[in-house]
Amino acid sequence: MSELNMAVIKPEEVISHVTASYRCSFSSHVLIVECFVLEEGWGRVLEMMKSYIWIETADGSLQQVEQEVAMFCPFICHEVIQKGMGSSKNHAISLPQRVNPAMLSLMLDYCRFHQVPGHSNKERKSFDEKFIRMDTKRLCELTSAADSLQLKPLVDLTSRALARIIEGKTPEEIREIFHLPDDLTEEEKLEPLKNITDDPRIRLLNRLYAKKRKELKERERIKNVEAEEERVDDRSVDDLLSFINGEDSKGIKTSKNRKKNRRKKDQLKNTSPSEVIEINEQESNGLKGSDLGETSEKQDVTDEMFASKPEFDDGDVDDEIDPALKEKIDREVEDFARRLNSDWPERMQEILSLGQDMKALHHSSNGNGTIRKYTDPEQK
Amino acid sequence: MQMGDVAALDLISDLPQSIIEIILTCLPIRDAVRTSILSTKWRYRWATLTELVFDGTCVTLCNDRSLLEKSIVNFITRALFLHQGPIHKFKLSTTYLQCCPDIDQWLLFLSRNDLKELILELGEGDWFRVPSCLFNCKKLTRLELHRCEFDPAPNFKGFSSLRSLNLDQVLVAPDAIECLISSCPVLESLSLTYSDSLDLNINAPNLKYLYLEGEFKDVCLENTPLLVEISVAMYMTDDIAEHFEQSSSCNFIKFLGGVPLLNKLVGYIYFTKYLSIGDDPGRLPITYSQLKIIELHQVSFEDMKEIMVVIRLITNSPNLTELKVSGSSNSLAATEEEYDLDLWEKECPSDCSFNHLKFVKMTDIAGVPHEMELIKFLLKNSLVLETMSITPCVFLKDRKLSMLIDLVRFRRASDQAEIIFVQN
Repeated sequence: MSELNMAVIKPEEVISHVTASYRCSFSSHVLIVECFVLEEGWGRVLEMMKSYIWIETADGSLQQVEQEVAMFCPFICHEVIQKGMGSSKNHAISLPQRVNPAMLSLMLDYCRFHQVPGHSNKERKSFDEKFIRMDTKRLCELTSAADSLQLKPLVDLTSRALARIIEGKTPEEIREIFHLPDDLTEEEKLEPLKNITDDPRIRLLNRLYAKKRKELKERERIKNVEAEEERVDDRSVDDLLSFINGEDSKGIKTSKNRKKNRRKKDQLKNTSPSEVIEINEQESNGLKGSDLGETSEKQDVTDEMFASKPEFDDGDVDDEIDPALKEKIDREVEDFARRLNSDWPERMQEILSLGQDMKALHHSSNGNGTIRKYTDPEQK
Repeated sequence: MQMGDVAALDLISDLPQSIIEIILTCLPIRDAVRTSILSTKWRYRWATLTELVFDGTCVTLCNDRSLLEKSIVNFITRALFLHQGPIHKFKLSTTYLQCCPDIDQWLLFLSRNDLKELILELGEGDWFRVPSCLFNCKKLTRLELHRCEFDPAPNFKGFSSLRSLNLDQVLVAPDAIECLISSCPVLESLSLTYSDSLDLNINAPNLKYLYLEGEFKDVCLENTPLLVEISVAMYMTDDIAEHFEQSSSCNFIKFLGGVPLLNKLVGYIYFTKYLSIGDDPGRLPITYSQLKIIELHQVSFEDMKEIMVVIRLITNSPNLTELKVSGSSNSLAATEEEYDLDLWEKECPSDCSFNHLKFVKMTDIAGVPHEMELIKFLLKNSLVLETMSITPCVFLKDRKLSMLIDLVRFRRASDQAEIIFVQN
């Protein structure tokens, strides 16, 4: 490679001696190799040369790469063809940030092998299997880099490898491998997808969903509710717990959130239960812990929601609804479900805390009855 | 917990959602859903997957069958409930689940979520009756049903995007199937297995792949000009055999008359017999210039009509590359019968040559005269033959030697040809 590099530099230095022009032309993945003939002072040198393109990685380092190999990446291909970049140092193709030199070199190894049409499927597969053997960190970096260069076959290969790593492992093992923060401690216990077949809390929740859906439909008819962008609930569970217990938070949280919640807390103190529902709807994501501050008021909310009978068998009814309205309702429900899902941690938290108090009580199968039992002792 | 430090080390959570989806789709659904308890960032990442595949691995096995069923139902219901966004592929394939009302609800939910691919395979109990909401899935591109009852609404206009239809052990009225097939304009792949004896007219102008297995009273490929691959395993009952005796229409033409682009033809059990029924087509109006692979299994070389089918097929396929034939002759049958060996001289064009035939595999050969004639014919006219593999049928003990003696005498047009006599 180094001697070819020298050959590249030479033409620029001795351009006056060159009688044959050096041309490089290409279509998307076909390289036409041109002969470079030198005269005078170079003797009988006739070299076959591959053309190279200049690439700059995010850290500023430049390197030259065989064109036919690099063109295997759609991103680079696009840059070369559409924008004419890469032909010289000054016009080097700058790669996206996620591609560092080590990753670039790995990807070029991959491209170098696969761009050769002669290999059989078996050979390619066996190359892939060996290629994939690297530590998890590099695998993740490689996936990211391959994605930013739009090299889909490599993305698929690395993704499958990552999936194989994840498959069958316990959450603890996965967290350890990928260094994920274990910030779901309490909610873990509330994992709704555990197959608890007769959990009354889960049934309660499902009814809550159904009620909320109905509420939303009502609301839509009255006024416009803007769909809010979903914000990820990334506050610690400790924080939420502390609100329930009325203590100061021990976890590390931004002061901004804290202020917001305090404000809501005050607001709630002054509002009646029916207005609490409004606040719940309008500021779905702001709800995070605010309503947990006053559990008694929350009970009133749930109490209200269960005042009328829950509807479960919408199944058949829906078939007769006019399609346009159906679409509208579907969208609303989807929007609502999205918002509800962001509320999920709080709801579960709240239900669980209730449940812990109510362990001694008999649960009747009548949903309304259960709620009444939950709320009675709490009402002040 | 020092959140700041850990976030810096997190290897995977910051990958773009599209990649996370690829990773999660490669996982069994249970592992994918479990990622929701890894960390806050992962809480709902699985919930936007567009492909959901539920099978027996969803739940931990236990001995109590009803409990198992209950837990699968719960898992799927909750997963669907927590899911956000469109669901493009839904596959439910488990024998632990029998027909139950929850499935109807799931299908209703899916029909509102841009469902594109539906695969449903349930246990052996009562067959699931497909609800009408399935016919509202306008964007359906692939439908696969096993052990279901299928009854389209009378005003059903078809699936305008359906590319692949696979009905296995599906109870459906024959005209309903015909109607369904013809109302799916872009249908490319059709597979019908083990339906009740059907009388089918297939009208599918874009059909490329046809796979039939089961009892069929009558199959007519009325309009399938683009068909590239056909595979048929035809069973026969006495009723159907009787029906055949009385029919006079030429099955060969009805089935293979309109498939000029055919690339591969595979027939099992009674397929060749089926093709042989009816009047002899004589010289075929069609040449199968793209037909490269022919596999005919269980051909009875004692039935003149079946032999004719074989002759007609191979002599009208100039570009044939691979031929597999298996016999089903009853070698214990009377050998006194006169064999009309001139048939080969009469019916085969004298200039017939196979310029591309490279591999021939004959199995279950009983040494019946017409089988030997076929081998002789192939050897004589295949200019580039590389391998002729012959496996005698297991009952054959005393005829092997005479078969070999005959084989050795046959002239070979190709100097590359190897005859491999497989002994077991």
